[in-house]
Amino acid sequence: MTPSRRSTFLPFALAVALLAAVLVPLRAGAMERNFAGSVQLDYHFVPTQPQANARGIGFDGFTTEAALKVTADISDHISANVKVCYGCHGFEMNMAYLDLRAADELNVRVGRFSPSFGSFNLRSDTANHRLSDKPLAYDMGRMLRLRTWNMGVLPSPFPDNGVEVNGTHWFGENVQGDYAVYAVSGFKGDSNGFDLDFEQSRSGSLYYVDNNARPTVGGRAALTLKLSPTSDMTVGASGMYGTFDPKNSLSYAIVGADLVFRFNRTNLRFEYLARRQEFDTSDASKLAYALAPTGGNFFVKHGAYGEIEHPVSKVVDVIGRVDLLHREGNVLRDLGLTRTSSVLRYTVGSTFAIERGFRVKASTELWQWSDRDGSGKNLDVGFHLAAVGSF
Amino acid sequence: MSSSAVWKRARALGVIAVVAFVGCVTNRSEGLDASKMPESVRPDYEVFAQRCSKCHSLARPLQSGIEDDAFWALYVARMRRQPSSGISMEDTTVILRFLHYFSEEQKRAKAKPSELLVAPAPAPAPAPLDASAPDAAEVAQ
Repeated sequence: MTPSRRSTFLPFALAVALLAAVLVPLRAGAMERNFAGSVQLDYHFVPTQPQANARGIGFDGFTTEAALKVTADISDHISANVKVCYGCHGFEMNMAYLDLRAADELNVRVGRFSPSFGSFNLRSDTANHRLSDKPLAYDMGRMLRLRTWNMGVLPSPFPDNGVEVNGTHWFGENVQGDYAVYAVSGFKGDSNGFDLDFEQSRSGSLYYVDNNARPTVGGRAALTLKLSPTSDMTVGASGMYGTFDPKNSLSYAIVGADLVFRFNRTNLRFEYLARRQEFDTSDASKLAYALAPTGGNFFVKHGAYGEIEHPVSKVVDVIGRVDLLHREGNVLRDLGLTRTSSVLRYTVGSTFAIERGFRVKASTELWQWSDRDGSGKNLDVGFHLAAVGSF
Repeated sequence: MSSSAVWKRARALGVIAVVAFVGCVTNRSEGLDASKMPESVRPDYEVFAQRCSKCHSLARPLQSGIEDDAFWALYVARMRRQPSSGISMEDTTVILRFLHYFSEEQKRAKAKPSELLVAPAPAPAPAPLDASAPDAAEVAQ
């Protein structure tokens, strides 16, 4: 087996072994277990690119994302979750963790999981969000100019190895409070890195091990208020901090705030994220701008979106979203960004329920870039058409 | 930009769109038709539908295949503990009451064909279907 084949095969083999490890004892012990999964096929068409081919700046054409998850309630106090995903990266181990629960207010999660951050995290599965694309702040690989921008602020999901203590508490019947604090391996990058290396951070070929032995720490707190029997509001704040290079000399800090309203089946969401990212300045010739005498060793990336989802009938939902990404700070030479770059994306879309558990998603996106591309354009249009099934 | 390349891709989109449109005329919702439920169950269903569609579609629980009350209790408890779930203890009771009704209906639907097969052929069987589902009738009242 070649090294590249081995690196693709290993996460898959590990996933199958873990699934088997969860399932076999369950069969013997008659424990409660639940399977869930999803499959999405998306077609992305960008007519504004030359020859209508956007491969140079993103992924167009067909992409498939699939996930299979098994949850086992081993006892009243212990449950296990294992989730395997297949997408643009091949097979990935998205979840493999145990929840050890002393009370609703005190749960200890150990293993591999996406640490609690923001409101989108819980909906990151393709079957749970109604557009083909994630919000730009959480984009993982569907955005145009993804290499220039090195994706969003915090690509979601972001599974990592570590431990999280979380809990929920109801204050009466109308107020729910949640918290989470965690320590995880954290994102990875090179010693002479200029940004987080998301490929290195997620790669199964690196065996999901840490590169600097110093955990990234973070937390989240949220409050949900029931405004009426059919409406509620959630307000939350999140943050994480860590180093990403093997020498522990370059740090990143991400903060976020979210506000979500639900009126009957209509959802209104607002979210803001920002990442302060330090980078290596030992070779200033790589940078587009002269280094400031102090404070020139970082950039800040802001991401925000507002979104509305509204069911217009039993089978049709309409969605509207406005996304912003804004980057401030020095930049690598010839990358195509300036000291202050931004992109606005306007999306309208709809989903159609064909059968229970099977939907079609359709959406149109208008991209408005602050920086013109090689041909002088600063606008792009994209269309998505997807079929998604969940079980 | 080559117009033929654009049209090739547009055709691919068009084919998927036509398939999607044809599919849409089947007019199936992801939830259940509350008008076909007993009146006493409808308020419970509304709470279930409101709370359990916040993070995922209703297809998740409705197609989970779970028919056991104890299993549902663990499942709903796990969902209640999800951050910002909005599912209170009071909601849990209502949701579990609906899921009990739903499970019994599922069992009844599954039992129908086999019971019809074993029914004596010459004389009509004395309502074996009702006898098989006392719990469902109880919940429906």
